[in-house]
Amino acid sequence: MEGAAKKLMAIMPFLFGIGFIAPLTAQLLERFGHSGPFGLSAVAFGLLFGGTWGLVANIRGRWL
Amino acid sequence: MDTIRQPGYADEAFTADVEAEVAGLALRGGNDLDKHTRVDLLKQERAIAREFHSGRMWPYVVAAWGGFALWVSLFPLTMLGIVPLWLACIVACVLATGGYVTSHEAMHSNIARPNTKYRWVNEWVGKVSTIPIVFPFSMARLMHLEHHYHCNDPEKDPDYTDEAPSAAWAWYKTWYNRQPGVDGSIHHYKRILAGMGTPEAKKALKDTLLLQLFFMATLFTLAWNGYALVAAAVWWLPRHVGLSYIRFYLSWAPHHPREGNTSRYDTTRIFKSRLGHTMSMGMETHLIHHLYPGIPNHRTKEAYFALKPILQKRGVDCSAL
Repeated sequence: MEGAAKKLMAIMPFLFGIGFIAPLTAQLLERFGHSGPFGLSAVAFGLLFGGTWGLVANIRGRWL
Repeated sequence: MDTIRQPGYADEAFTADVEAEVAGLALRGGNDLDKHTRVDLLKQERAIAREFHSGRMWPYVVAAWGGFALWVSLFPLTMLGIVPLWLACIVACVLATGGYVTSHEAMHSNIARPNTKYRWVNEWVGKVSTIPIVFPFSMARLMHLEHHYHCNDPEKDPDYTDEAPSAAWAWYKTWYNRQPGVDGSIHHYKRILAGMGTPEAKKALKDTLLLQLFFMATLFTLAWNGYALVAAAVWWLPRHVGLSYIRFYLSWAPHHPREGNTSRYDTTRIFKSRLGHTMSMGMETHLIHHLYPGIPNHRTKEAYFALKPILQKRGVDCSAL
């Protein structure tokens, strides 16, 4: 159980990207009356943006 | 370098024999006080410090539990649109930052000593206070006491990673140390706890894992149910603001420069904060806290002025206050 939790923590930046940054991006876009670019929905763009950023943060060890 | 460990728990400042403690105290450069004078000064110092020990601690309990209840209430209040997000965010930032102050008193057992009737109050003040910054009390207490015991030791002080050459760099480092691949802040604490290997350290690591998973699960659940902005404004952003503020004012500002300053009167500097005593959470007189951890935060300034003549005789730079 604890081992599984540790493995989960190891990929937490990526999970944070799709679990939090993605819906946050989508809801920010919607709040200001926008949809995603290139014809994407706000959620699809959020997932693309958050997932990519989280993956990069996971690999680099830095968010910025 | 001092051979005597610095005090951590509330009453430890009085447990060492005066003569033995004086024998272990490093003198400041240019200080040529003889042993008799140093023993006498330490006796006077302790007598004055005792007057400020303890005091009314119930406001810390009210602040901790009331603050936690208010913070929890911000979730439904913002979700229902009763409180605007911007206001909730400001309040949550204040609560997340201030929570460390109440927790800090509990770390030193200042609210109730071990094996006393109200010890549970002390423990629960500590436990709830640092939830907004996702910093479990078990870890906070262990690491903070290590910081006291080995203050400014590059190997043994868990907070040494906060050191930076300037205030601007220190602010930057508060953020940088939280990056997933950087060995600073809570990542550094985890490594230290894993190395300690004691039952308390293992429990602290487990508590940290559980609290972090709970934090993430809460954020994800709120976010995917349409409340991402609430999660960001009430927990995610206040946590980051709180942690940076705490790291800067409670760690960097009073202990800079850390290098080589490991003796009793050198670990902490007396400084004048641009934001004043309250906004810097009493850190201007943090030296008093390191000398006598049993003096509550709200009494350190008063104690400093009472102890000032003795500190000056010991060679402490008191020019700032």
